[in-house]
Amino acid sequence: MIQSRRNFLRALPAITAGAALAPAPAIASAAGKEDGRHRWAMVVDVQKCIGCQACTVSCIMENAVPENSFRTIVSTYEVHDDKRTNTYMLPRLCNHCANPPCIPVCPVGATFQRKDGVVVVDGDRCVGCAYCVQACPYDARFINHETGKADKCTFCAHRVDAGLLPACVETCVGGARIFGDLNDPGSKVRHLVDQNKMKVLKPEMGTQPHVFYLGLDERFQGHVEGAGTLWQPSGHGG
Amino acid sequence: MDSQIIEVLNVTRGVAWLPWAVSYFFLIGLSYGSFMLTLPYFVFGRAQHEKLGRLALLGALVCGLTAPVALLADLHGPGRFLNFYLHFQPQSWMSWGSFFIPIYLAGLLLYAWLALRGDFAVRGQGGTSLLARLYRLAGRGGEAPRMAIAAAALLALAGAVLVALYTGMEVMVVHARPLWNTPFLPAQFAATAFAGAIGLALLFNRFIGGRDSELEIGLNRLLVLALALVLTLGGGWLFVSLSGVSPSHSAAFSQVAGMPQWQLTAVWTALATIVPMALATWRPASSGLITGLIAVHSAWMMRWTIFIGGQSIPKTGAGLYDYHLPLGNDGLLGIVGTLGLWIALLVLMLEYLPWAGQAVAAGNEKATNALAANAIASH
Ligand code: SF4
Ligand code: SF4
Repeated sequence: MIQSRRNFLRALPAITAGAALAPAPAIASAAGKEDGRHRWAMVVDVQKCIGCQACTVSCIMENAVPENSFRTIVSTYEVHDDKRTNTYMLPRLCNHCANPPCIPVCPVGATFQRKDGVVVVDGDRCVGCAYCVQACPYDARFINHETGKADKCTFCAHRVDAGLLPACVETCVGGARIFGDLNDPGSKVRHLVDQNKMKVLKPEMGTQPHVFYLGLDERFQGHVEGAGTLWQPSGHGG
Repeated sequence: MDSQIIEVLNVTRGVAWLPWAVSYFFLIGLSYGSFMLTLPYFVFGRAQHEKLGRLALLGALVCGLTAPVALLADLHGPGRFLNFYLHFQPQSWMSWGSFFIPIYLAGLLLYAWLALRGDFAVRGQGGTSLLARLYRLAGRGGEAPRMAIAAAALLALAGAVLVALYTGMEVMVVHARPLWNTPFLPAQFAATAFAGAIGLALLFNRFIGGRDSELEIGLNRLLVLALALVLTLGGGWLFVSLSGVSPSHSAAFSQVAGMPQWQLTAVWTALATIVPMALATWRPASSGLITGLIAVHSAWMMRWTIFIGGQSIPKTGAGLYDYHLPLGNDGLLGIVGTLGLWIALLVLMLEYLPWAGQAVAAGNEKATNALAANAIASH
């Protein structure tokens, strides 16, 4: 059981909807995590993201991501349409693709997909060749300069296995990140995916991402055509 | 609707294949290219190509032995390289590569030893020093039978072809980078490797081969052919990209076509191909130094552009990632260190390897003597 205040608050809508009667574990059941009963996925409701980067920071804290490296980030764009100027926010992370090009290239089999769909790196085996970094179409991977190994978002597998939500989901202020089990017909991600026209990033790559975007502007679905980022990290990028 | 997008905040991914990778691809390419140039003399017995064969063997060895050092350094966990051999992955080109490199190098070393066995024996004649005894050991059996040399050459050739294949395929299969994801790439790597190897032979001929002008002319002619192939492949890529036959090529082209730094690279590449071709045709007997230098430089620059330039194109974000060559190990120091190792190996080989055989050594001495006599006379 998760008893944190945040989880309690998170459970409130569920209570009002009558789906649960008490603060429940964030993820219904983490038992049998490797037996393929679950298929973890995320829905990002782009319109709810306020660009606060709370997820970026909590991910860094949770996963000890080294300075100037990111497992997730909210890409932020200034968009000028005729006379209107808007800010566009796009949370990015590993898509835990169903057909992940990062896996077959690995020369030592260090990158693999768990039965529940989470793509992870076996740090003991990884030689740091960075082939997977090249192969990921989303720039989701990087070489961790402290460990010399491939690093990326794991959907916070260590938390999920313990019945918790990924750190980014837990901290998301706007409620833009929704995490759950696609195999569970009662889960919110399942509902959202079934009832909405979801978009994924770079669908033409055939990677079958399992991070789905709600309300994604097509101009941001692939390589963004625009002026380059104004901010560059000082030390080790990536 | 008129719309404009400015990226305000995004991650910048640093290059993950470092300049070490450029050094590796460059050196292994020069090595297998040079190895090919040794075949006419050592395998087919064409006496007129002796000097070329011997100089190129030196090039194949010195580049081939330096290359794996750069490759290991490119791993962020070099100490874990054993995992390559403990966990073979048949679907990964890099995994295959870890087996192809030793095949090539073992073949090359065996071939070089057999090719020079007679020369080792000669060096070991007389003398009781440790070195003389080592030479005698290496030269035991004297000149190796032609068949044995040919068999070793076949092994090295198989290794060379496999290395050329895997280095090209490894990069080509990366769909995530449209610039790399083209069947032209393996051929371009191989063609520039040959041009670079010819360039290296031209430089060796200048600096260690006693400047044989016949060889210079021959190599310059060969260089023109190799560069013509490079140009044809480049033109082919451009045609496929511009004509719209292949959307992935057009995507790659449009990613870079509008960027000034890429336009400069394109002009530079074209010049670095056309200028040596023109010089080699116009002045085949005297342009070797400059055509050789440019050819070697082109082979380096092609790889630098593909790897470092390619990785500075964001896969999702806008604009380009900034790349500044770091001064330390993973940048300038690494490149200079590799060069230092290369030079040290070359000096050792020049000193201790009977690479020049008897005839060439004598010829070199004659050339050097003639140079000295000229110098004295002109005073
Ligand atoms: S987003 Fe990239 S790193 Fe994540 S599973 Fe897909 S290909 Fe692999
Ligand atoms: S960096 Fe590690 S996980 Fe990635 S391909 Fe190389 S060995 Fe595999």
